[in-house]
Amino acid sequence: MLVALGFTLIFGVMRIVNFAHGEFLMLGAYGLYVFMQMFGLPFGIALVLATAVTGVLGVAAEQLIFKRLVDSELGGMIASLALAISLQGTVAAVFGVDELAVERPVTGAFHVGPMTVPRDQLLAAGTALLLVWVVYQVLQRTSFGLAMRAVAQDRDVARLQGIKPRRIYAIAFGLSCALAGAAGALVAPLYTVEPYMGEEPLMKAFIVVVLGGLGSIPGALMAAGMLGLIDAVVSVLAGPTAATLALSCAVLLVLLARPAGLMGRA
Amino acid sequence: MTVSAFDRRSLLAGLLATTAVGGAAHGGNSILKIGVISTLSGPGATWGLPIDGAARIAAQEINGRGGLKVGGERLQIEIVAYDDQYKAANAVTAVNRLIDYDGVRFILGPIASVSLSAIKPITESRKVFLFPNSWSPTVFQDARYVFRISSTTREFLPKAVEWLQQAKPGISRVATLAPNDETGWTSQKVQKEIYGKAGYTVVAAELFERQQTDFRALVTRILAEKPESIELDTAPPATAGLIVRQAREAGYNGGFTKFGGFDVAEIVRTAGAENAEGIVGILLADPTSESWSRLKEAYATYHKNEASDFVTLFYDAARILFAGIENAGTIDDPESIKASIEGLSPFPGSLGPLRWGGKENYGIDHQLYTPVFLTEVREGKGRVISRIETA
Repeated sequence: MLVALGFTLIFGVMRIVNFAHGEFLMLGAYGLYVFMQMFGLPFGIALVLATAVTGVLGVAAEQLIFKRLVDSELGGMIASLALAISLQGTVAAVFGVDELAVERPVTGAFHVGPMTVPRDQLLAAGTALLLVWVVYQVLQRTSFGLAMRAVAQDRDVARLQGIKPRRIYAIAFGLSCALAGAAGALVAPLYTVEPYMGEEPLMKAFIVVVLGGLGSIPGALMAAGMLGLIDAVVSVLAGPTAATLALSCAVLLVLLARPAGLMGRA
Repeated sequence: MTVSAFDRRSLLAGLLATTAVGGAAHGGNSILKIGVISTLSGPGATWGLPIDGAARIAAQEINGRGGLKVGGERLQIEIVAYDDQYKAANAVTAVNRLIDYDGVRFILGPIASVSLSAIKPITESRKVFLFPNSWSPTVFQDARYVFRISSTTREFLPKAVEWLQQAKPGISRVATLAPNDETGWTSQKVQKEIYGKAGYTVVAAELFERQQTDFRALVTRILAEKPESIELDTAPPATAGLIVRQAREAGYNGGFTKFGGFDVAEIVRTAGAENAEGIVGILLADPTSESWSRLKEAYATYHKNEASDFVTLFYDAARILFAGIENAGTIDDPESIKASIEGLSPFPGSLGPLRWGGKENYGIDHQLYTPVFLTEVREGKGRVISRIETA
């Protein structure tokens, strides 16, 4: 959900399909690994630092690469693909290709009747939901959020109101990458950390964003919930391969009925 | 879910391919290039990187004594490695490049059955030698220049299951899970057959995608069948560790076996020492041996990760290849080289004498019978229970 939110935020504001978004998730996971395992910081502080560092790297990427490619969807795609490959290669060269494990902040599980809820997953999901809620409130209730939405809807009119789109781009890109970094830092203790870990979440985020409607944050949140539910239920009942098939069918059916996605603009 | 409409890792392969092209240009008179096609990145890299490392260690030894003596000439060995990322398409690209651009006629690897199936028609038609460690039973089908360099599930599993019956007689219900690709399909088929023959009930046989990290749905399905032991088969070690951890968190208290590709350090790292306690698996080399220690040390000069048991296997494979070429006295006559390699039986391997065989099972004596080591995780370390001879 966090990854999809950031992915759609960048597209909504800058019209850039950021294929390197998964790699910012990966950077967040490595950030947590470095701050926790190498510097010995507690999980909470490491999470904040990993998120912040990823956000700063996102701003740097926007300034150095993407600010020249606003509205150039093809250029943005190619540049982001190149950035993704470069980031994977750099991390592989620095850390190696081994899957690294990060110490979990909490262990064990709650057992409620037949249900088992692992504590670490609950912590990650709760933190992610909190972050989504905070970002949504910022976008809906603050003047900065209003400015960002204005730029996404009509850049020229926003400019006439005194809003500086270039400043908004950098902040939006940084915020979006910070969200991906937070997602990476949250999943790092649950699974393993490796240079290619961003690919699968990116693909899922891409599907979620297309299904929700490119650029639509409520659409992305709705699609993430819907696909997550289908994935979980079908995986348990019929296995992961059937779940993949069910997800693809669901996406096809929705797009046939609503080509712009659940809440996208036609 | 592994949707890969735009396969960026294929593009990355071009950057990460660890090509050691240096010195003389390809086709140089005093250089013999040996190819490596292996999984150098992603979940299979634990097994794939040691192939590259082992090849370089063996090559370094040969070069250190002046080169490979072929006829009246001394040839320096150069290793050219490509990453197949456990994907057939990448393996085909790699083999075409190795043969047509690098001029390679001898290739160590691959480990992925899917890669081997894809490249075998090319290598056979060009009479290029392959030394894979794919466990597919069809490895030798329509193949004259393929030499498999280690025992597979087919060779060691009956004895491993026999041990399980004796050591843990209370177990009768077994679940097995494997990757959803040719490696997993073939190994799971063998696992089900051999466990079944031994009198076990295989209550669940599940497949998962290689990039998968969340196994909770799969574990829920498996635990619903109430297994007393879970066989982790050919799951990559780090992935196996995640499965173990998630199964324990879901309340599973039974045992785990991994009679198909084991790495104690990787499993303990991702499962946690407490969850990994008591897992029994098969190692393809003796972790307490002097040879593995020496190879680990040498391997560290080439790669950052810890050398797995594959380093021993492929070090011996490279030595067999080099000895075969030297004995044949040529690099241009595939038939002489093939006969020479076939004649290296027994070969003084790192684990003792190694023998070619397999005609009765595979129709050709190109299966190297190597011993395996039944190993149990105790307090985060691997403890060898027994050595199993497969010949």
